Order: sequence, then structure tokens, then C-alpha cells
Amino acid sequence: MKQKRTMNLREIVVMAFISAVFGVLYLIWIFLGQMVTGVLGPVGGGLMAGFWIMAPIVCALIIQKPGAALFAELIAAGTEVMVGSVNAGSVLILGVTQGLGAEIIFAMFRYRSFKMPVLMLAGMAGTFASFVTQFAMYGYSQYASIVVWLMLGTMLLSGILLAGWASHYLTFALARTGVLHNFAIGKSEYQRNKQEPAS
Amino acid sequence: MLEQYQKKNRFLQKVNPSLKLAGVLMIIAVMVPVFDPWTPLFLFGLTVLLIIGLGGVSIRFLGLLLLPFLVFAFSFLWIQVVFPDERGETILFSIGSMPVALENVYTGISLGMRALVFASWSLLFVLTTDPTRFMLSLIQQCKLPPRFGYGMMAAYRFLPMFREELQQIRTAHRIRGLGEKRGLKQFKRYFIPLMAGAIRKAERTAIAMESKGFDGRRSRPFYQRIHWNRYDACFIGLFLTLLVVVYIVRAQWLVS
Repeated sequence: MKQKRTMNLREIVVMAFISAVFGVLYLIWIFLGQMVTGVLGPVGGGLMAGFWIMAPIVCALIIQKPGAALFAELIAAGTEVMVGSVNAGSVLILGVTQGLGAEIIFAMFRYRSFKMPVLMLAGMAGTFASFVTQFAMYGYSQYASIVVWLMLGTMLLSGILLAGWASHYLTFALARTGVLHNFAIGKSEYQRNKQEPAS
Repeated sequence: MLEQYQKKNRFLQKVNPSLKLAGVLMIIAVMVPVFDPWTPLFLFGLTVLLIIGLGGVSIRFLGLLLLPFLVFAFSFLWIQVVFPDERGETILFSIGSMPVALENVYTGISLGMRALVFASWSLLFVLTTDPTRFMLSLIQQCKLPPRFGYGMMAAYRFLPMFREELQQIRTAHRIRGLGEKRGLKQFKRYFIPLMAGAIRKAERTAIAMESKGFDGRRSRPFYQRIHWNRYDACFIGLFLTLLVVVYIVRAQWLVS
């Protein structure tokens, strides 16, 4: 089945709504994350990082078109700023790099494969991009290298679990409600159900 | 509370939002190679003065917003003291068998203050910028495609409705005896119906936009036009002065 590769208004608005909800969740998560970082240090805080890559992965999985991941993260970041983030500047910069990180992985698979391993890889790429950005922005080069490596490790792990697995789980739970029938993911679900009828 | 400051008729509120945003990003870029504690401290002080003086924000409200950030900033200090890249020479005191060096405390304070400087500039932007003006300025000055700009504005306007909906879902669950426990497992129970509702609303909104003739072309009329004005020129001047003052003070007194 041939589809247009650019997003239409319906997909953009749906993406904006999903990302806006995530933007608000991110704000709550930032607050939690700062508490965890304050107590456990950046290594423990790294475990929280994957959550910020959920909006691009969920949107990319639903829409399956070029640019969905990057724009989803930008919209989520923009919503955070509009609602009143204490950290607007870094949020926007991180939004660009995290979105790009996830987008590159989807582009590498030419926007054709959206299976679990690809999503996990995209989650890892997103947290990795986020790590590199924070490394430069908050001066992590001043810490012992063991701490920095551990931090990268926990962030990648969180990228696999939260961004990869949890996004996949939530998106398919959402697809089962039937609201996504009009989108790429709903259509592929429909095709699969037709081939192997449910017993 | 936020809206009350965003709509005030003060200097910072009149500056073009895109320009203010560029200022915030500039500050972040400028701070990256700084590792002494006094420069960020000085810049932080000046920024707070700017927000209070030119933005008309009350000092108590500002303090309240920055308070959680202190915890975050403090984490930079302790992690720097416990796990430094290289331990300093001047030992202040020891906790157990671990020496605490003056140099590491300085670097830690510097990194913590840097986080606070980012936060204060972000607040300078957020507290003085009306979200609608921000979006319009992104569309008109930064050439954001109107499809994305108006899509985002629509989503933003729906946010209060989501809160109401969450309350409804919670009540509905309670009526059916599902209890009120809050945890990660409960997250999905609220998240899925909320998202499903959001997607339905989004599709209806998109259809409504298209039926009113919204086609995402750039050559459209605007109810509110954001123009460049003299406040923007003043802001650029002020910003450059700030950078020069910080640079001179830093070179003269702070870094010996």
C-alpha cells in the first residue's frame, strides 16, 4: 500500500495533542527527577532519563512518517515552555537533540520497521543524545570518569526500558481501544488481524 | 499566577519572544566553558535583578520557583566533592577517610550555580512571555510552518480540559470500586483513557480547522501581528552590555 510521506493536518494535530499531554507529564517528571538527582546524584537520575524519549517514540510508532519523532519532541518541549518550565532553555535544546537522536534511528530503518528492537534502539539513541547534551551543558567533564560512565549506562538502560519497551506497551494498549484505526499503526494492526483471525 | 506576570505591561513583556529565547540560548552557550564559582554567581545576581526590575515579578514568587532548583544545584556540589575528576590540593577537612578539597568545592558550586543561571534565564523568558505571542512570533519571525504552530496552540488550549477529564476518569474508577491507589500500575489505567480521549478530540479539532478553511499556507492574515520595535533594540543593547560587563568583571576581579 502506497502512502504519502509527508504528514497531513490530522496527523500533525493528533501528534500535537499527544505531545502536549507528554509535555505536562514531563514537567511533573522533571520535578521527580530533580528530587531523585538531588538525593542519588546524576547516576540515579539517569534512570529517569528514558521517560523524556517517550513522546517521539509513541508518535513515530503511531504515525510512521519521517519527522514525526523530532517534531513530537519539539512540541512536547514547546508545551513545557508554554505551561511554565523552570528550565525552558535547556528543555528546548534537549528537545532538539533527543528528538534528533530518536529520528536518526528511524531514518536508518527508512521508516519501514517499527518493531520492538528498533524502538529500543531509538530510545537508546535518544538518551545518548540527551547525555551528550547534558555533558556539555552542565559540565560533566569535571566528574570522575567512573561516575560519567555509570551515568551513561543507567541512561541507556532507562532508554531501553522506559523509552523503548514502555512506549511500545502503551501504544499498543492504545491501539486496542480503536482510536488509532485511522493511522499507520491501526492499519497495520488491521492487516495482521485479517491474516490471522482471532480465535 | 503565571498569567498575571505574562500579561503585565513591563519592558521584558514587550520584547519579541523569539529574541528573548535567542538570549536564553546565548547565555547557555556562553556559560559552557566557565568553571569558576564567581562568574555564574555574579550573572545569577544580575539576572534576578533584571527579572524583578524590568519584568515586575515579585521576589517571593521568584524565590518559590527557584527553591526546588536549589536541591538540584546542590547535587552538583556533593557529587563533585565525592567523585571529582581530579582531587584538589587544598584539603579543607575530612568526612571519615575522605578529604574534601577546596578546589572541588569551588567547581561543584560553579556547576550548581550554572544550573541556577540557566534556570533564572528560563524564568526570565517564561514569566514574561505570553504563550500565544510566543507561538505567533515563532510563526511570523522564525518561519515555523503554521500547521505546527496552530496545532500546538490548539493542543495548549485543550490542556485545562485534560485535567477535568482526568478528574472524571478518577471519579468513574472510584464509583466502580477500583480504589484510589496511586502507583506505576495505576498510571496505565489513567493514561490510556486520557490519551484515547485526547486523540479523538484532536481528530475532531483537525476536521474543524480544515472545514474553516485552514490550509497551512504561509500567506495568511493574522489577528495579531508581532513586529520588531524599539524594545527589541533596547533588549539587544542591554543583553550585549550584560555580557560585556560580566566579561570585564570576570577578567578584572573574579579570575586571578
